[in-house]
Amino acid sequence: MTHNRFANRREAFWRGIHDALGAPVLVLFAGMVGFGAMGRSHGFDAWMTGLTSLLMFALPGQVVMLEMFISGSSLLAIGFAVTLTSTRFVTMVVTLFPQLHRRDRNPLLYLWVHMLAMTAWAVSMREFPHMRPQHRLNYFIGLALPCWLISPLGTVLGYFVAGWVPAAVTLGLVFINPLFFLLTFTDVKPWANRIAIGLGCVLGPLFFVLDADSSLLLTGLVAGTVAYFVDRRWLRPRPLEVST
Amino acid sequence: MTADMQGWGVWLALSAACVGTYICRAAGVKLSGHIHQDSEVFRWLSAVTYAMVAALTVRMILMPLGLLATVPLWLRVLICALSIAVMVSRPQRRLVPALLTGTLLMLAYGVCRANP
Repeated sequence: MTHNRFANRREAFWRGIHDALGAPVLVLFAGMVGFGAMGRSHGFDAWMTGLTSLLMFALPGQVVMLEMFISGSSLLAIGFAVTLTSTRFVTMVVTLFPQLHRRDRNPLLYLWVHMLAMTAWAVSMREFPHMRPQHRLNYFIGLALPCWLISPLGTVLGYFVAGWVPAAVTLGLVFINPLFFLLTFTDVKPWANRIAIGLGCVLGPLFFVLDADSSLLLTGLVAGTVAYFVDRRWLRPRPLEVST
Repeated sequence: MTADMQGWGVWLALSAACVGTYICRAAGVKLSGHIHQDSEVFRWLSAVTYAMVAALTVRMILMPLGLLATVPLWLRVLICALSIAVMVSRPQRRLVPALLTGTLLMLAYGVCRANP
């Protein structure tokens, strides 16, 4: 398990860079190009759209913000909805960072955590068990840094490309966003989360028709809670009885 | 609303969204020191989160704003179904080919529409 995969932390960092420069960077780039195109088609300016990717770096939250702003939601509602969409980061960080070496679990993590995205998280969760704890943070930084840096570039590129390419290309770019999320759902393993996704797909449009503003939050709470209890009641393996 | 106020509104919305997102990340760091990843609260929170993202995704596909709304609904759903088929056609998920399938099909539709 903890074989010496890397000679030192430097090597782990470069391996992270190497692993990033494939599917992870491509997916983020495509997603962010789509977001840039979306910002353009919604009438936002290039600075604002690019900065969103640099400073927020959370595609679903960015999309929520854009859509809610267009539909004229209040500032408070936007902040609240985006924060709620980003609650997944709490879970992601809590499952990832306890795997780091004790020495690396210091206040600097508040800096590195900004580069965390779904892609880097998924790859790290897969790779961490195959390396020593003292190499994990450097691997993570190598992996997450290119993903973060490519995002504003992709966004600004998508923004300007959407202006002078044919509508057909813009259409393809705008479609990358929802398609990317849809596809990542097929990779979700826990049953509670799978049920939550299924219920969310059904209840989402329903609640949206009833009340657009609160529909995301309402769908999340109802579908998520039902999924959690269904999983807890029927699907989860029974905890072992403690025999005395 | 004047254009100037609207401009300010955008920046305020961005700031609020950035702060909110970072708070979640920071909370994760804070909690990762204390809380177990198997705790019930986190299972629940994660289910709630997935349901929200799913609702958002479906909304973007079924009830989009802007350019995507000009594509017939059945076609959007069909392209999604084909992309998912590519994605799950192998045990190790093929995200990039699936993403390309959907994007290129949508592109092809756009080209056909422009040149009937």
